Amino acid sequence: MTFSNSNFPDKEGFYGEYGGKFVPETLMYALEELENTYNKLKDNKDFIDEFYKDLSHFVGRPSPLYFAQRLTDHYKSGSIWLKREDLNHTGAHKINNTVGQILLAKYMGKKRIIAETGAGQHGVATATVAARLGLECHIYMGAEDVRRQSLNVYRIKLLGANVHPVDSGSATLKDALNEALRDWVTNVEDTYYIIGSVTGPHPYPMIVRDFNSVVGKEVIEQSKDLFGKMPDAVVACVGGGSNAMGIFHPFIDIKETRLIGVEAGGEGVSTGEHAAPLNDGTPGVLHGARSYLMQDESGQVKDTKSVSAGLDYPGVGPEHSWLKDIGRAEYVAVSDDDALKAFHEVTELEGIMPALETAHAFAYLEPLMKELDSSANVVVNVSGRGDKDINTVAEIDGIEF
Amino acid sequence: MNRLTSKLQNLKENKKKALVAYLVAGDPDLDTTLDLMHLFVDSGVDVIEIGVPFTDPIAEGPTIQKAHDRALKNNISLKMILELVDKFRETNTETPIVLMGYLNTFISHIDLVQSIGENSADSILVVDVPGELNLQTYGITNPNINTISLISPTTKDDRVESIAKNSTGFIYYVTLRGVTGSSNLNIEEIKNNIQKIQQYSDAPTMAGFGIKSVEDASTLAACSDGIVIGSSIVEMIADESKTKEFGRIGEYLREMKTAIS
Repeated sequence: MTFSNSNFPDKEGFYGEYGGKFVPETLMYALEELENTYNKLKDNKDFIDEFYKDLSHFVGRPSPLYFAQRLTDHYKSGSIWLKREDLNHTGAHKINNTVGQILLAKYMGKKRIIAETGAGQHGVATATVAARLGLECHIYMGAEDVRRQSLNVYRIKLLGANVHPVDSGSATLKDALNEALRDWVTNVEDTYYIIGSVTGPHPYPMIVRDFNSVVGKEVIEQSKDLFGKMPDAVVACVGGGSNAMGIFHPFIDIKETRLIGVEAGGEGVSTGEHAAPLNDGTPGVLHGARSYLMQDESGQVKDTKSVSAGLDYPGVGPEHSWLKDIGRAEYVAVSDDDALKAFHEVTELEGIMPALETAHAFAYLEPLMKELDSSANVVVNVSGRGDKDINTVAEIDGIEF
Repeated sequence: MNRLTSKLQNLKENKKKALVAYLVAGDPDLDTTLDLMHLFVDSGVDVIEIGVPFTDPIAEGPTIQKAHDRALKNNISLKMILELVDKFRETNTETPIVLMGYLNTFISHIDLVQSIGENSADSILVVDVPGELNLQTYGITNPNINTISLISPTTKDDRVESIAKNSTGFIYYVTLRGVTGSSNLNIEEIKNNIQKIQQYSDAPTMAGFGIKSVEDASTLAACSDGIVIGSSIVEMIADESKTKEFGRIGEYLREMKTAIS
């Protein structure tokens, strides 16, 4: 088993004109060290075995590809299949990446772990693997996200990690990333930074993609077993884009499968109040990589808006920008209202409560199923479960506990 | 010859060290920034470094981050900063000016950067572009602008040489692992590393990040071609921005100048 046979990124970490390493000089050696370690280990049998062993026994992989009967009936067309990443240990796809990166940290002898988190899922997944190895762990989280994801904040603390609320800027995911980078600049020699998405400087977008690609690889095998061919479409939500990249990547050369990424449309793309850089952004440099970005004409990064903390990010992974430009993947956006409607619908129809992030992918089924042939097989990546969002949803519905 | 290059050459020939002082354009407002620039010069500053505000300044500590935020509330843009430099040049054509900021702000305004003339800003320091990458790759080819690269305590020897070659203004030696305004200087390590840089390059080497006290200034100036002072000035600007009585800053800079002489 290998991680990836992709020709991208190139040696400098670029996917076409996107990606790269745009960081303060102090971090350059750390990125080089990480890249060298990863390049050595990714073909090392012991490392690969350890990774897949942890994925089966600690995470609970493979996750099922589940036929959603009532959702399929609801749309009266095609067949809808759910890739159940919500069933993973800690409740989201995020654990695939953290299990892999903590192994890298272990092989590199790093004693201190840091991470940023938006919805808190990556914070929980990082605190979990750090606890398992007994490593000191610090999680940076925007103060606004600390408020709306209080359940996950408590989970992270229970796991023995320190949560650092970040007040600067918009007090959301991008500011948490800024602060984690500042910590890393300061403590670079003993600290491993587990980035939670396919964002950041090279080699992170590649590493996070490779560890999450297990999702897409399983879907390929499961599709053969369950319906005897490749899916007609794979749908996933995109914030930074790690769950989408994980399921898309093994499909890049399988041209019969449409790849559809769903961004956070917030109040609606036309209002400008959203978090959909691939729909309404321009290329720019943020957090170490060149990619589509929500920015004003002066190159300042714009505040974003989304009901979902995990998608509330002005940038996106560079490989998604490249897939968009070469036309291999399509990127659409879904509004807060439509995502909330899908959240309730899927919960009631399937007995599966999706994360608000995931609800964006579900919401796009409405237009997609009308457009597709009645024999179409559609896979939705259920990137995470929705327990963490109960407070947000209740607040919107006007319910007090 | 570029104003910055000739100034630094001149100082070196006279065995003097450069005092480089930093402020953020538009903090608290552009008129005050202009006054402060003149105050800097009157207090012995040799080179002015103007921070170009950015929403996500990942190399800055809390003091300078807040200054960027204050400036952004005034909607300060690169265009306004170049107009500020024009105003400064009406009465001062001597003091070199370095624009320090983040890549996204500069590449959003390539046309402006390319149009910088001889009597304007003299150099660009982009914090988030690794030293061996050439700014020409990003369309910045203006011959009136030279570039400054950073070398840090974690830069490996094999890269020091290539980075030094790309730096046409001076080499900015980052004196600590950390963001601007931190305080954990390791003087011995700094001395050794600057000596190493000087083996590879004749370009002037400035020491910056975390220099606050007169003692640090004096020790570091002794092993470099000059020092950069940032956060401590920005903090004073924030403290006095209501009264706009900046006498303390002038006093501080004069003490620093004496310490490095």
